[in-house]
Amino acid sequence: MFSKSKSPSLRFLLARGISRIDERLLLITIAIFVGACGGLAAVLLNRLLLDIQHILHPLRTYWYAFVLPACGAALSSLFLGHVVKEGPGHGVPEVIYSVSKRGGLLRLRSSFSRLVSSALTIASGGSAGPEAPVVMSGASIGSNIAKMFNLNDRQRVAMVGCGAASAISSIFNAPIAGIVFSVEVILGEWTPINLIPIAIASVIGTEVSRLMQGNQIPFAHHRFHTSLLDIVASVGIAILAGLSSVLFTRMLNKTAEASHRLVRHDWIRAALGGATVGFIGIGLPVVLGEGYDVVRTILENQYEYGLVLVALGALAKIVATSLTIGTGGSGGIFAPCLVIGSLGGLAYYRMLDFIWPSIPWAEEGFFAMLGMAGVMSGALQAPLTGIFLIVEVTGSYAVILPLILVSAISATLCHYLEPVSFYYERLVSRGELLRPRTDARLLADLSVSELIEKDAIVVQEDTRLGDMIPLIEQASRDSFPVEDSKTGDFLGLIRLDDLRPFLFNKNLYAAIIMGEIMDVHVPRVSPHDDTKAVLELMDHTRTESLPVVQGSKFLGMVSKLTILDRYRKELIVESCQEV
Amino acid sequence: MKAQLLHIFRNTPFGRETLLESSYFCKTLEIEIVVYIPRTAKFLMYFENDVVQVDLDRSYLTSPETAETHASEIIRSAGLEPQFFEPQDYTASTLPDIPTHFDYMCCPRSIVDLSSKIGLGYLGPRVRRIVNSARFPVYIPNAVFKVWKSVAVFFGGSVNGVKAVRLGQKISQLSGFPLRVFTQLEGNSREGYESVVKERQIEEAMENWTVFDSGPFQENLYEVPHDALVVLGAYGHGLIKQLAFGSKMELIQSVLSNSMVIVGPHCGT
Repeated sequence: MFSKSKSPSLRFLLARGISRIDERLLLITIAIFVGACGGLAAVLLNRLLLDIQHILHPLRTYWYAFVLPACGAALSSLFLGHVVKEGPGHGVPEVIYSVSKRGGLLRLRSSFSRLVSSALTIASGGSAGPEAPVVMSGASIGSNIAKMFNLNDRQRVAMVGCGAASAISSIFNAPIAGIVFSVEVILGEWTPINLIPIAIASVIGTEVSRLMQGNQIPFAHHRFHTSLLDIVASVGIAILAGLSSVLFTRMLNKTAEASHRLVRHDWIRAALGGATVGFIGIGLPVVLGEGYDVVRTILENQYEYGLVLVALGALAKIVATSLTIGTGGSGGIFAPCLVIGSLGGLAYYRMLDFIWPSIPWAEEGFFAMLGMAGVMSGALQAPLTGIFLIVEVTGSYAVILPLILVSAISATLCHYLEPVSFYYERLVSRGELLRPRTDARLLADLSVSELIEKDAIVVQEDTRLGDMIPLIEQASRDSFPVEDSKTGDFLGLIRLDDLRPFLFNKNLYAAIIMGEIMDVHVPRVSPHDDTKAVLELMDHTRTESLPVVQGSKFLGMVSKLTILDRYRKELIVESCQEV
Repeated sequence: MKAQLLHIFRNTPFGRETLLESSYFCKTLEIEIVVYIPRTAKFLMYFENDVVQVDLDRSYLTSPETAETHASEIIRSAGLEPQFFEPQDYTASTLPDIPTHFDYMCCPRSIVDLSSKIGLGYLGPRVRRIVNSARFPVYIPNAVFKVWKSVAVFFGGSVNGVKAVRLGQKISQLSGFPLRVFTQLEGNSREGYESVVKERQIEEAMENWTVFDSGPFQENLYEVPHDALVVLGAYGHGLIKQLAFGSKMELIQSVLSNSMVIVGPHCGT
């Protein structure tokens, strides 16, 4: 404070340098850093998972192994709640909230917190996937790197998308799925300014993963021989996958609600959920962990259990994942979707084979793959993510037509039965999902305090009707706020319609005072109210303008005309940014 | 629009003192006080380019059923009308967002640690982050309520120092209390400071300007009236710079027991 710097600081020079670089070039350059860091986060989580699983492996043979998921979930919850002081869960809704409402600002601690907590949950046997936590980490890395470079909100949001894309690309070795997930689920918009850096980050994230872990496709490539009949049969698996997704989404939400109502302490709730999963795992070990081994076995046509056990396994996985995530364990739903989908697909194949044994159906791995795409597209309500992820993780481009069909039907069915996906449920219920170029988003960018019109003529409650005549002559609007003559507090509003019955009776000019006829129940808005809510209030009360009041003081009026005029201008600005 | 101060209320004797301080500050400057009674032990503040998570100590959640009554009584006793803030937005179900549109915010020296640590010589990291990111000045009250009768500004010639002088002048005008400006000559001559004053057109505020040209700064601080509201600028150094070079703000706040208003680097006074 007491020294005056004479030469420009490094930060100043950096900021000046950054402001002179072409925006796209700048974003691409920063996206390279974000991509590398997001990729590293995913590799780190993979390693953590493998190491913890390796340590815990000998314990799995003991009778008390069922407590392992309970311990993992409890530790995960304690770590999140007491060490890094974050809320439970996988964090994707937080990332979407930040993109929707907070210009992509995310806490630095989120870049590592979910890695540790999900590693504890999943490696100990909790039924969840590592992908959503790594999305949170990647997004937070992107946000904080953007903060370091002093990027604006729009650019920061693009970096959040880069972080998420690189994380998904790295963990699945699937660059296209990373890009598609980022724009379809996280950002909700496809613009060149976002897409190019995201693609670069995705490539870098994938390369980091390949350099450190080798170029492994998670599920070995298989060539499926399909016929037209198989494509027709895929409609059935699409419906089954859609219904499974709806059941899965509802169960996740209901378990979360019920467990929060029944158990108050986060870690006890998570431990109870984990213990239940452990119990289920004794009979059906398919529910434990992220379950990639099960998917691999099914795709290789080596899963030996019959129809009933396979179907039971799919249901058990839905229950176990709902218990793990719903009670506060940390992890995502990507991997469980793949397991549920593959088991569902296999069950469907077994059923077809049982009913029509003479028809030469495609291999069971084919139906498992369709099931995976269907459940993924349905639960996430992101069909493109489902299609590209399955194509990339299985290397089966040849079957893309039935994949598209299944994903489209499943996502549509899911949207019809459960309009909001698991990721958006909380945000939509609170009106916080503001997608780019939607009414809600444009209105959210307008603040009531900027829209206040100060040209209203304020009158006192003891003003007589006769004194209003000259005021009406000079007024540009048809409403007059009324204030207390002593305290200056806002009391109500007089509209021209309230005055009209008395205006032509001069005998009343001295008899009527404004305090008697003002509308004291007129709705008031605060300068910090949501503009969308103000507009809805105007529609509901059939008024064109409302008084803005802070505390008890009148600040001005806000009118529908001004809101819509500013909305139009905002729309023009948004449209220009697109080009 | 009337200026507003955000106060996070702690329903304890210590919280009462800080609310009394805030109420006096608001009454004197004719600004509105908005009180947030926390329901969860943490909240988020989204600034322009940063997000700060404030983890409150559990004493902030003491007796929630009496908190509003206690806060109302204290505010009304100062002749102000209490306004309570309820969060509308939540980042997570237990993580409300507190808006950052206020004109001032009251922070005790530390809002995170236990009362035993709240005293001189320790400015919590969260308070520091808020100071660094906020567009509003941060009011750091004394641990025990004490009225202030003058305004003392520390001016070191920097941009933030100039902002602090302007804010001090504004507070002085609004409160009617005299303004004094203090400068310790360090790395610059008196003429150097005077040229900054002229260049920045703050001569009017510098009528009562005390320049320390000798002696250690800590000892010179004795000149600052005990009943002055101290206004000072903060560079917003990061932790490494702070550890390496120290900070005048830290030094002042650890030596003086006065209530302070800190003008951060992003403050838009």
